[in-house]
Amino acid sequence: MSSTEQTPVIELRHVDKHYGQLHVLKDINLAVNKGEVLVVIGPSGSGKSTMCRTINRLESIDSGEILIDGQALPQEGKELAAMRAGLGMVFQSFNLFAHKTILENVTMGPIEVLKVPRKEAEERAMTLLARVGVAEQANKVPAQLSGGQQQRVAIARSLAMQPKAMLFDEPTSALDPEMINEVLDVMVELARAGMTMIVVTHEMGFARRVANRVVFMADGEIIEQGTPDEFFDHPKTERAREFLDSIMEH
Amino acid sequence: MGISELLAEYGSKYLLALLSTWQLTLVSFALGMILAIVVTIMRVSPVKPLRMLGDFYVQVFRNIAGVSLLIIVYYALPYLGLVLKPLTCVIITVTLIGSAFGSENFMTGINTIGVGQIEAARSIGLNFFQIIRLIVVPQALRSAVLPMTNLLIAVMLTTALGSQIPLNPQELTGLVSYINTRTTGGITTFLISALGYVLTALVIGYVGNRLDKKVRILR
Repeated sequence: MSSTEQTPVIELRHVDKHYGQLHVLKDINLAVNKGEVLVVIGPSGSGKSTMCRTINRLESIDSGEILIDGQALPQEGKELAAMRAGLGMVFQSFNLFAHKTILENVTMGPIEVLKVPRKEAEERAMTLLARVGVAEQANKVPAQLSGGQQQRVAIARSLAMQPKAMLFDEPTSALDPEMINEVLDVMVELARAGMTMIVVTHEMGFARRVANRVVFMADGEIIEQGTPDEFFDHPKTERAREFLDSIMEH
Repeated sequence: MGISELLAEYGSKYLLALLSTWQLTLVSFALGMILAIVVTIMRVSPVKPLRMLGDFYVQVFRNIAGVSLLIIVYYALPYLGLVLKPLTCVIITVTLIGSAFGSENFMTGINTIGVGQIEAARSIGLNFFQIIRLIVVPQALRSAVLPMTNLLIAVMLTTALGSQIPLNPQELTGLVSYINTRTTGGITTFLISALGYVLTALVIGYVGNRLDKKVRILR
């Protein structure tokens, strides 16, 4: 198969990071291929969010390399901004622009960064808002929407940049239980449509259904990885077994 | 002297004094806002010496008594060869103090913008200047409306410092001393001036509240 030769969309090589004395990422090596859905799980403080955030350099790294489409991640400046625009990022707390309407939230990137004409940007934004099921909220401001709706808008805002991959940093952790599925449904649809995704989450059902690969992190290290069936049914390490037991108890 | 006699004799002077207070207020507030924006940009800039200078500026002019500053500007600067008109001295004093508080209001407005929104803006590829222009400034301005309304009223009341030096025409407070050295108006003389301040403050407060309701950011 040619997949062994293809360039990964996202690749981390020997990535290390410290917060002062704390070693939060320890020699992380990871490659995500086009169309792959990678789910990252692990206990809190395991470094999974930090790893996700280093990929578009919201967090710096101490050593190692991060490659996007085979290109090393640029330093600050124009190239970095352009690279970031090519990676969608969805945050735990939605982070919509509070003073802008839903439509403006989605069109800002295309208009300001990609220089798409306003009318065209608005048409595309409305298509995306319809795709995530919030088209009728287009003229409201974020505070008027539920958490689930806001998170779906955040996904549309990222998609508007036509990213080559999407990063999800615990996208459902801040949501009320009844709103989690409406966000997960959108993510499932994205995965089925072939989007390359890295998803940091505690949603094991989602991981089982959608992931091509599950990565388990603890204490800043990748402890083990495998297909969802391998990992959930036959975890190889004691650490992973403990973690799975602890979340299955209830 | 009663109100009617006072008004009959000094009505036109009161009117002039009210206009003088308004003029001092508007000029000082406008200049103060411009300075506040400059100082605030310094305080959030990536350059540490600029940040420190901005913070120092605010600490100095937020914590100095208005009368002390006026005395320095009006009585001490001439020793350094700088002689300014009394009107200019009052405007400088009130502007400096107002700008320090104004910058604090802007900083509060900036701090209400969560770091998450900035990260989201970076993640869609906006650069530093676009983030300032599209995300930070609009939100900081809109959430500063109410505190700036209060500041405008405070600036108006601070222009009463003009009573401490020979202004011509006098502002509302200075006029009280002027009248009371000539007649026996007593407290009534004060009351008429106070009415000028109160009515103006009510109008400022009303307009500020209306504006705030219009531009307030729902959270």
